Amino acid sequence: MKKQKKIQRDSAKANHSVLIRILILMGLFGVLFFIPMFGRLFYLQIVQHEELESKAIDQQTYDRSVVANRGTIYDSKGNTLAMSATAYDVQLSPLEILECQEAYQEQVEKAQAAETAEEREKLMPSYPEPTNESIAQTLSQLLGLDQESILQRLSKTNSMYEIIAKQVDEDVADQISAYASENGLSRGIYLNATAKRYYPYSTLAAQIVGWVNYNDGNRGAYGLEAMYDDMLAGQTGRVVTAKDGHGKQMLYRYEDYYDATDGYDLTLTLDATIQYYCERVLAEGIEKYEVQDGGFVIAMEPKTGRILAWANSPTYDLNDPRTVIDSQLQAELTAIAADTTLTDEERSAAQTDVLFKQWSNKALNETYEPGSTFKTTVLAAALEEGVVNENSTFYCPGYAIVADRHIWCSDHKGHKDQTLAKAVANSCNPAFIEIGQALGAETFYDYLEAFGFKDKTGIDLQGEPTPNDNLIWPREEFTSPIGLTSLATASFGQRFKITPLQLITAASAVINGGHLMRPYVMESITDADGNVIQHTEPTEVRQVVSESTSERCRTILEGVVDGGTGKQAYVAGYRIGGKTGSSETDEDDHTIVSFLGFAPANDPQVVVLIAYDNPTPTGPNSNYTSGGHYISGGNMAAPMAGELLADILDYMGVEKQYTDAEKAAMDMTVPNVTGLTLSEATARLAESNLEVRTVGSGDTVTDQIPAQGVAIPGGSQVILYMGSEKPTDKVAVPDLSGMSREQAQAALTNVGLYLKSTGDTTSESVRAESQSIAAGTEVEMGMVVEVHFVGTTATGGAGSGT
Amino acid sequence: MARKLKRDMTMEEQLARGPLDLPFLTLVLLLTGIGVIMVFSASYPTAITEDVSPTTYFVKQAIFAVGGTVIMLFVSKINYQRFRWMSVFVLIGSIGLLILVLIPGIGEAHGGAQRWIRAIGPLPSFQPSEIAKVGVIMYFAARLSKRNQRKPLQFNRRSYLYAPATLLERTGFFELVPYGAILLLIAVLMYFEPHMSGTILILVGGAAVLFASGINLTWPALMGGVGGVGLLTVIFFTPYMKTRMDTWLDPWSDVSDKGYQITQSLMTIGSGGLVGVGLGKGRQKFGFLPESENDFIFSVVCEELGLIGASVILLLFALLVVRGFWISIHARDRFGALLTVGITTLLAVQVLLNISVVTNLLPTTGISLPFFSYGGTALIIQLAEMGMVLSVSRQIPAPKQE
Repeated sequence: MKKQKKIQRDSAKANHSVLIRILILMGLFGVLFFIPMFGRLFYLQIVQHEELESKAIDQQTYDRSVVANRGTIYDSKGNTLAMSATAYDVQLSPLEILECQEAYQEQVEKAQAAETAEEREKLMPSYPEPTNESIAQTLSQLLGLDQESILQRLSKTNSMYEIIAKQVDEDVADQISAYASENGLSRGIYLNATAKRYYPYSTLAAQIVGWVNYNDGNRGAYGLEAMYDDMLAGQTGRVVTAKDGHGKQMLYRYEDYYDATDGYDLTLTLDATIQYYCERVLAEGIEKYEVQDGGFVIAMEPKTGRILAWANSPTYDLNDPRTVIDSQLQAELTAIAADTTLTDEERSAAQTDVLFKQWSNKALNETYEPGSTFKTTVLAAALEEGVVNENSTFYCPGYAIVADRHIWCSDHKGHKDQTLAKAVANSCNPAFIEIGQALGAETFYDYLEAFGFKDKTGIDLQGEPTPNDNLIWPREEFTSPIGLTSLATASFGQRFKITPLQLITAASAVINGGHLMRPYVMESITDADGNVIQHTEPTEVRQVVSESTSERCRTILEGVVDGGTGKQAYVAGYRIGGKTGSSETDEDDHTIVSFLGFAPANDPQVVVLIAYDNPTPTGPNSNYTSGGHYISGGNMAAPMAGELLADILDYMGVEKQYTDAEKAAMDMTVPNVTGLTLSEATARLAESNLEVRTVGSGDTVTDQIPAQGVAIPGGSQVILYMGSEKPTDKVAVPDLSGMSREQAQAALTNVGLYLKSTGDTTSESVRAESQSIAAGTEVEMGMVVEVHFVGTTATGGAGSGT
Repeated sequence: MARKLKRDMTMEEQLARGPLDLPFLTLVLLLTGIGVIMVFSASYPTAITEDVSPTTYFVKQAIFAVGGTVIMLFVSKINYQRFRWMSVFVLIGSIGLLILVLIPGIGEAHGGAQRWIRAIGPLPSFQPSEIAKVGVIMYFAARLSKRNQRKPLQFNRRSYLYAPATLLERTGFFELVPYGAILLLIAVLMYFEPHMSGTILILVGGAAVLFASGINLTWPALMGGVGGVGLLTVIFFTPYMKTRMDTWLDPWSDVSDKGYQITQSLMTIGSGGLVGVGLGKGRQKFGFLPESENDFIFSVVCEELGLIGASVILLLFALLVVRGFWISIHARDRFGALLTVGITTLLAVQVLLNISVVTNLLPTTGISLPFFSYGGTALIIQLAEMGMVLSVSRQIPAPKQE
């Protein structure tokens, strides 16, 4: 009984302990242990939610930037000067390439482990093993890169981002892409689309258009590309798409597209054709005159300030801005490379300087002493102020004495008595000193300011220097007694510095009716749909002189070309006006020869400033180049300007205006007079402004020289054969080189040939430079030989001194 | 066999026809249902990648869920007293299978571990360790339910071993020997597979039954202490374990390799936030989160259903566990109680370990989530276990009618 009770008691005790223990387990596993689970979930899903979610989204989405197309730059006629196209950056992912290689190995092992040959065949990869060497070899061939450097990049196997080539063209990119996909390297070689800038005209207007720097996020580095970068660049867009863990895009799941806004297009005032003319003339002159430091040509529409063309030399190819193509700069580079005294740093700095030289816009960023071209503004000021008029006379003894100092005229013998127009045509320094003194320092300085020489022109290009006291005298100094010589030299444009742009802008005011315009190169900015975002209207800064003064100036300046120092710029039919200039510099025997020209003189459509910096003289104190060219604006820049203006006016469709004298000298087509009576033939030829010489004594014309249809200068003689036999002997063309016009005329007439003169057709003292048919050539009688004459007298030379 | 009329049945038989525990059954069906739906959501990207119908995994799992439910109901109809004698065969059979699985040709290896018995005929492939879990719990429960009938061992007082032997007996050492031997045997067999997480679960299941049966805790505590120290030593001195620990402590230090799976899981869970991205709309299962339909399915649940959904599921699990223990407390006899404790604890530990792993509370081990993780045989065995609990619940004496 007792035992039974004990068992019962034990059993109850055991039951109790079992109950307690089950309750403990229940508490632990049913309640307690679940609490940290909730806590942990709360921590991960609420506290760390954003952090973890962003990590997840990072890997779940492709977030690619969409390159905005950079705007196109057009010239005023719609020719494309700069455009963007898709190019590719080649990116290697050595980490993934390694994975691809491992996968290849695995596949090979798998294939080798296969039982049947057929299966082995099936499992074997279809392409050769993508070793680092084979990848490097292929890429180096396609991209023209060094194989070693690619191998070195491939060895960085913990990297996923190695850019080995930038701005690769589409066709090369396609080849690389094909190679990658055919060799199991699609995940390892990537092509990232980016934009590449193309400049279809290569060197054209290089310093104005500028270029973009690929190393600086495709931002504009120079010129208008930099100036209007904000407008051109556009807004980069983004594409966000979902992708799965294998990198496959899941477009249906999630896609977000932020449009890239393409950059705006720029239309310039530049005209590619005029620009081309300018660059051609610049290059020709540089070669012909052995110019050492380049030069520039600016062509502007005087009434609006629109820049029509702006050429600089040395220049470069915008598509490859870091390569030097100018032969003189190349020589400089060679010299730098050969200079063993330089440290590496100095050498690279020197090389960079050379690059800056070709990139910089000489005619805007640098200043020079304008020389005689500046006299245009002095003339306008003097006429406006009434201190001189067309009847004023000046006497030039060859020098002027100012504050006890001798200032020489370019013609040391002196121009003697001359009218105002003649003084301008002679570019006579003593006359202008007198004019400057008549104006007075205060008034003179007022006009300096009024013509904008103390301000920036405000052109929309970078790097225009602000005039300062080092460049141009401060008013106090200029108007004080010590400023007397300054006033004198200022009167003929020396001893102060301005930019060429300031000069042409001021000169435009002189000839356009007195309006100082703000020059500009950006005509309009349009969006991709052609909506005009911004349009530049011509802006008048101020009226400097009156319409009538301007008109008087034009007339006087036309006289410079019509028989004055600028006569070599004369081209029949174009009514060119202008002013020569030869600027001295701080260096000995370093002259900047220039010519400011405009046409037509009665209604200027275009004004050009052309300058050559430092033609090579034959020796110290020599005024001639080895080609026999006198170093002066009149002898060098003027003929170039004439040629240029003629081209531009023809291109612009400006109608030619011939004077009667010009008309008389124009080429006439010989009519057929054979079979006519002498009187009939004479009358017919007189209609064509041709004279008659007869051979033989018949009644009717049996033959004629030249034959029908040949163009000969007006006033030439046509030989009529009245029954006599026309000689069939050929004649030899005489050697005309070095002859004057009269000598050449005589030499040709002597053998029955005709002269057509080109080049300097007005100067009295000229020499034949070249002839269209080489000396000694046997030709039929009556042929026309075109002879190019150049002036031999020093016109518009530098020539000032003490 | 014609049905017996109620009046002809013995008391036992009448009791065995009591009602199923409805709360427990409801929770099981609810979790199974949600689990199958989550398998669909989590598995279709995998199916698409494998170029099969997106519903492939879902259909298989659904079939197994239905089959498993039928089996569960069938098991629940069995008078659980029969499990007493069955337990011996189940245990011996599972040990036999654990040996068989090591034989190449019968066993099937996945990822370096030979844990599966290859599918034979209509039988699907399965893990013998799943059966061993049940076997151990059944056998331990059956044997321990009778421990109060066990006579303490008597020792010869004159033997010099008397004192230590008596001490060992009093502290319950000799009673533990057979259980320890069985567990050791199974652990050794499974070491050869190897199957660490399965071993842990079997040990935990056995230990839970042992603990609940009221055994003296001296030796388990001692062995647990020694084992713990031993485990720590192994962890700190085995490089493999050490890196695993480092990964656990700072998974973000190596997101591309060792920490990949766990960091992906954390990102998946974290993406869910409070309300989740929506059922089926998870993104991480698309090739980012490995085993998204398997061991890491709970991460997908967290991503798609958010903290709220995940908490509801956790709560359902907790309720199921609590109800399981409730059934064990109210079980008609000790065997039923211990059987239920074993099965319930096993379930709870699986859930807790799985969730701890996917949330990086514990280092990664491969433990699937009951009712959720994809896997037909595991689900069927799980549901059969639930059937056992339900069978016990049928014999709970109905409360007295007032």
